[in-house]
Amino acid sequence: MASFKIKNLNFYYPTSSDTPSLKNVNLDIEEGSYITVCGRSGSGKTTLLKHLKTVLTPHGKRSGEILFDGRPLETVGLREQSSRIGFVMQNPDSQIVTDKVWHELAFGLESLGMEKKAIRLRVAEMASYFGIQDWFHKDVSELSGGQKQLLNLASVMAMQPDVLILDEPTSQLDPIAASDFLNTVKKINLELRTTIVINEHRLEDILYASDKVVVMEDGMVQVEGKPREIGSRLKEINSQMFSMMPTPVQVFYGVKNEGSGGCPLTVREGGDWLSEIFAEKKPTETSIDRRDVATEKADRLLDTDPKDCPIVVKEGWFRYEKESPDVLKGVSLKVPPRSISAIVGGNGTGKSTFLKSITGVCKIYRGKILINGKKLDKYKYDELFRNNIAMLPQDPSNLFVKKTVREELEEMVSKGEAGKVEDMGKLCQIEHLYKSHPYDLSGGEQQRVALGKVLLTDPQILLLDEPTKGIDSFFKKTFAGILSELTKKGVTILMVTHDVEFCAKYADVVSMFFDGSVITTNLPHDFFSKNSFYTTAANRMSRHIFENAITDEDLIELCKRNM
Amino acid sequence: MQKKYVNKKNVITILVIFVLMPITLVASWYFGNRKYYLSSVLIMIYAMIPFFAGFERRKPEARDLVTLAVMSAIAAASRVAFIALPHFKPLVGITMISGMAFGPQAGFLTGAISGLVSNFIFGQGPWTPWQMFAYGMAGFISAWFFRLNIFDLNHKFRTAVISFLVVLGIIGPILDTCAVFTMAGEIDMKIVPAIYMSGIPVNIVHGTATALTLFFLGKPMMEKLDRIKIKYGMMETEEKVRVEEKNEVR
Amino acid sequence: MKRFSEYNPIINFMFYIGAILFGMFFVHPVFLFVSLAFAITFHVTIKGRESFRFITGLIMFACFLAAINPLINSRGEKVLFTYFGGRPYTMEALLYGFAISMMFVAVIIWFSTYNRIMTSDKFLYIFGRIAPSSSTVLTMTLRFVPNYKNKIIQLSNSRSSIGLGISGDKKQKIENALMIISSLITWAFEGGIVTADSMKSRGHGTGERTAFALYSFEAKDKALLILIIVLELITLICGIKGAAETEYTPKLHIQSTNSGYFVVGIIAYTLLLVIPTILNIMEEIRWRVSRSRI
Repeated sequence: MASFKIKNLNFYYPTSSDTPSLKNVNLDIEEGSYITVCGRSGSGKTTLLKHLKTVLTPHGKRSGEILFDGRPLETVGLREQSSRIGFVMQNPDSQIVTDKVWHELAFGLESLGMEKKAIRLRVAEMASYFGIQDWFHKDVSELSGGQKQLLNLASVMAMQPDVLILDEPTSQLDPIAASDFLNTVKKINLELRTTIVINEHRLEDILYASDKVVVMEDGMVQVEGKPREIGSRLKEINSQMFSMMPTPVQVFYGVKNEGSGGCPLTVREGGDWLSEIFAEKKPTETSIDRRDVATEKADRLLDTDPKDCPIVVKEGWFRYEKESPDVLKGVSLKVPPRSISAIVGGNGTGKSTFLKSITGVCKIYRGKILINGKKLDKYKYDELFRNNIAMLPQDPSNLFVKKTVREELEEMVSKGEAGKVEDMGKLCQIEHLYKSHPYDLSGGEQQRVALGKVLLTDPQILLLDEPTKGIDSFFKKTFAGILSELTKKGVTILMVTHDVEFCAKYADVVSMFFDGSVITTNLPHDFFSKNSFYTTAANRMSRHIFENAITDEDLIELCKRNM
Repeated sequence: MQKKYVNKKNVITILVIFVLMPITLVASWYFGNRKYYLSSVLIMIYAMIPFFAGFERRKPEARDLVTLAVMSAIAAASRVAFIALPHFKPLVGITMISGMAFGPQAGFLTGAISGLVSNFIFGQGPWTPWQMFAYGMAGFISAWFFRLNIFDLNHKFRTAVISFLVVLGIIGPILDTCAVFTMAGEIDMKIVPAIYMSGIPVNIVHGTATALTLFFLGKPMMEKLDRIKIKYGMMETEEKVRVEEKNEVR
Repeated sequence: MKRFSEYNPIINFMFYIGAILFGMFFVHPVFLFVSLAFAITFHVTIKGRESFRFITGLIMFACFLAAINPLINSRGEKVLFTYFGGRPYTMEALLYGFAISMMFVAVIIWFSTYNRIMTSDKFLYIFGRIAPSSSTVLTMTLRFVPNYKNKIIQLSNSRSSIGLGISGDKKQKIENALMIISSLITWAFEGGIVTADSMKSRGHGTGERTAFALYSFEAKDKALLILIIVLELITLICGIKGAAETEYTPKLHIQSTNSGYFVVGIIAYTLLLVIPTILNIMEEIRWRVSRSRI
């Protein structure tokens, strides 16, 4: 069976030969264990993981040693590494090589030169274990993102690796697909004893399954320890990384501030812990009183006169083809001015299509869309997109066509308006990236460059499609800061997202989208405290005790008041 | 370099040229008046074999396979971008850029594979080998023109004009020849010019699309591909030496 | 018994080599009739009612082509009428046009069934062992194309939603579309790097490769393959010996149906082409019988 020992690993990329990307990394990965690696983007997590497989190891200057089963990794043959060390990467689409599901499952085994009969058995086994039978014969292009990533996992597992390395495997998936995927990974660890090394943002789904958590910062291992201890260790050294921890951990240390044992890791454990605290002393204050603020806000945000709303949709209907089913089914919504409105809802409910209908990319066949009181189809194309409406696409790289970030921004302005580019660089905090190639940036940086490009059209209405997808919590914070800056300048923002935590923290109004229409719209606190499944972790953890704790901060405050 | 060109004349090529082609020609004389079509198709298939065989013999790495697949897929999918302009076919233009960036063999294969794949989507027919061959030739010719400095991306206009002429004079007629052999059984010399003439308008449109693609995309795309080649060392075995040589000459 | 498409792809492919190549060669009316007839019956067993419209349309178009052939080809002895002050419209040219058009129709119908039966994975199965690298490229290309088409639409929508979309004249439209292609290329190669890594990570290039496929080769397949090859060889030999020798212009000459080679050739040819139809019909009957027993 397999284990890794990393000793004094240092690594420099050729492009930045003075700052190390990995600095003095020491790490033991025991056989059969589940190791979680976390840290902000650019902290060297991916670089570290790629060092665990020779063919993926980046070029550059390196010192130190990596032992696989006691042997230096580079002396282990490539064929042996291929089969014993499995690697699943971030982007579900790009990893798939062949056009058929069954062929993809067999690809690795073909490369190893296995016999046809043996492959047949292995493939059948994998398809059954991962529940792929139903789409076994399909074309890969027919699969959803979650299915594609599961296929990637299965085709790596087909080679029966001893170690499975996963580099941010769920960053491109929606929350449901993501937690399904991570559950499968846990199952592999528990049932097959496969060693797992995973680099992941969604700590709430994996922390409890881990044996060891490794926090990286600036290419170094900042803290390493058992999941129940990691929170206190980070708190001790006052690390910024603490803010990445999931809600139960945040709340636990937010309230207790001392002690290390017994830290809850899941919503259930968190809820039990709260029950325990308040078992004897019943809480006197069970809700955060927001009435005075809320009524005033509600007046402004929920009961705005439609005449003042930049976007009003009335009974919109849409379908892609004449014969296909309706995607939008009589959707109505008004978006209050100078605010951040969010639309949440499951996959395939038509949220993204709804945004497209507002930009006119999808033309509704019945109903009305008013932009600033004027009907959408009365606008000329140029009029609609100059100083008026603009949309940030789900994949920010969709907007990139040039060689440098600066050129990207300059595409949007006429000559002689260089000042505008500079201002935008400042606002979006991308000035230091001007000379970089847009594709060499991290997800969060790409996001901000794309946002800068979009904002250079001076939009009064900004539409965002899944703006937090694949972005770590630090970038999210920066991003939210930029958004609130914009609303102060008078911009109205409408976003579609899966990220309930982000909505709870930063949105002014939240709407629920289901089956082609908006079914409810409310202020975030009322919205999430009324939901029981589709709500934040803080709320799920505390709803049996408190009425409307939505964010981690709410919950911490309520606990403190009652203690 | 020299050695490599000698190596390419491998057994299969020799076999094709000296054995299969004559056999085809002789055999087809025995058949009545349909000999032209069959022999031409077979000869075209034989002409493609050395390219594929050479590629196989090189035992290409994953990156080379990906490069070819990406270029072929872009060439085959590119038409979707021109929904607003239904007659604009950028396939040949993109194949030519692939040839310039990655060399004659890759250029030919890009064209041939994108031709084949397009036909998987729209339906195979007697025209499949002709299209594969014609598109492949586009990539092949463009690679050589680039090496000989006939195609030069610093002279966009010249390159565009020449590419237009290549389509009008070579690629288009090859595609039309398929119609000659399919439609007419006996080669009636009176019909042949008529068929080629009737193809000219289509070829002009095709050539224009190719020229525009090279004019606007040629340089930026080559820069992008150069960045990729440097960053990831793709297809470097065949082309890197060439690029370096060329830069030295300049 | 299995449907024709369920036999090993090598069998499907061998059959089509014969059906299409012979189909394009033989202009003897009896051979033409056989090819057309069984192409149609096979097509009907696959597409049912749908195929009637397709075939009638094709035949009407072919008749039109036949009728205009004498206008461009005036050779022939028996003049039916003259036009344009003496240009002859000959019987031989008309017959020849008719023969060629029917051959054309037959080949198109064979190809139409070919496209249904020889799906891309069967094609890859056959060429996977002969040319492993090229067929890996092919399967990857087939995988990328729908992906890229999708991306082009996304790119176009994204640009359009910030005012960089399609408006204005042709020049702008072309420039915009080329910009999208350019953007696609960068994106595609970034993904391509990952694909290459994913291939290497799963052992590509570490040594000999096998080609896996879901198809099996049973005794039944073997028997059928031998039958097809034997029939094709007989047809080929008879063909070379002039079984289907036919000249339409300038002088009509059709190989006599009494010739030995003709008789053997046409029997082999018929047996060959009828195979897929028979297999499909037998399977259909078996299915109905087994269902009626329930």
